Amino acid sequence: MRALIAAATGLALALALVLTITAMGTPTGRTSPKPLLTTVPAHP
Amino acid sequence: MRRKASLVLLACAVFCAALSPLLRWYAFPRLARIPANQYQDVVLEAKGATLLDYGTMRSRKVPKVTIVQTLRGDVEAAKKIEKSAGLPVVVWDGLSYVQGPDGKMVSRVSERYIFDAHSQDPVHAPGEAVDGDTVKRDGIEFKWPFLTQKRDYEYFDAQARTTSPIHYKGTRTFRGVKVYYFEQTVPWTKVPFPKVMPVQGITPESVARTGTTRWYSTVRRFWVEPVTGAPVFGEELHKEELRGGTLLGGRAKVTAFAGDVKMREDYIEHTVALVKHNRTLILMLTSYLPRGSLILGLLLLSLALWLEARGRRPQDPAPTQETEPEPVSA
Repeated sequence: MRALIAAATGLALALALVLTITAMGTPTGRTSPKPLLTTVPAHP
Repeated sequence: MRRKASLVLLACAVFCAALSPLLRWYAFPRLARIPANQYQDVVLEAKGATLLDYGTMRSRKVPKVTIVQTLRGDVEAAKKIEKSAGLPVVVWDGLSYVQGPDGKMVSRVSERYIFDAHSQDPVHAPGEAVDGDTVKRDGIEFKWPFLTQKRDYEYFDAQARTTSPIHYKGTRTFRGVKVYYFEQTVPWTKVPFPKVMPVQGITPESVARTGTTRWYSTVRRFWVEPVTGAPVFGEELHKEELRGGTLLGGRAKVTAFAGDVKMREDYIEHTVALVKHNRTLILMLTSYLPRGSLILGLLLLSLALWLEARGRRPQDPAPTQETEPEPVSA
């Protein structure tokens, strides 16, 4: 019974960690103020 | 005490083992996405190209034609489309600006490309366009999906506004990076004139009235890093012709542009470095962390079982006193 509880705890922690990370997601940021280029840039 | 330690190890083992598939199949599709606010530019050059002089309507060899391609993510538009589509969406506003050897504009074609931030599948929403014309993309453009496969993909051609297969032609090494090589041949196809023409006063409508039509053919080549799906090098054997009509003065056709368009060297180096960095991040989610946590989980499980087995082993029996045998009566 104790082994089952320990395994369930490990599983719950893994789920909690992954769900938290994915819920935070990736930052969207803001649209870049830089223009669409009509001149040739000197370098990247 | 030993029993307690084996239970803690078991919990850690299950944590690590469960983390492995969760990272690969749950977290990866949700975290590996093209950023909605991405901004990037690339410069391509066609050295020794043929270009039409609109003043004389004759083709001439020029030392170089430069194409500046910019992509800018529209975050606000992406958020709006995400609400209705129920998908993570990226909206790219693009501009392909072509400049002649004298620095003057040859053509400028704008695009709005809407796609799924993870799978790169096109998303159909109002605003999807090429040069102001509404289009419906059925294939990818600019970038391949993460974990690109060794197969043909549907690729959207912005000039022809059509989608056709781009063929996987093998695995190669480009500047130390393993890449999949893709190639697409677009046969001679009648295409619309750009909305902005290089000569003031000439419009697509005025050209159309002369009966002259614009034709295009290309061989498109991409060297794609398969983990990120990002092309590290691109090349086009691009040809354009004007055919028929009164504009050509009795000639059947005239070359408007012909050249081998390639990425500029400094952009190749920059792209390769960027792709190498992003490749490591993707591999963390798809390979390094899932595999590492699975191996760690198995090791911890073995340790937990070993500790448990040691805890359950029966104690050595205590030494017994030797006793004299009792006499047996006859």
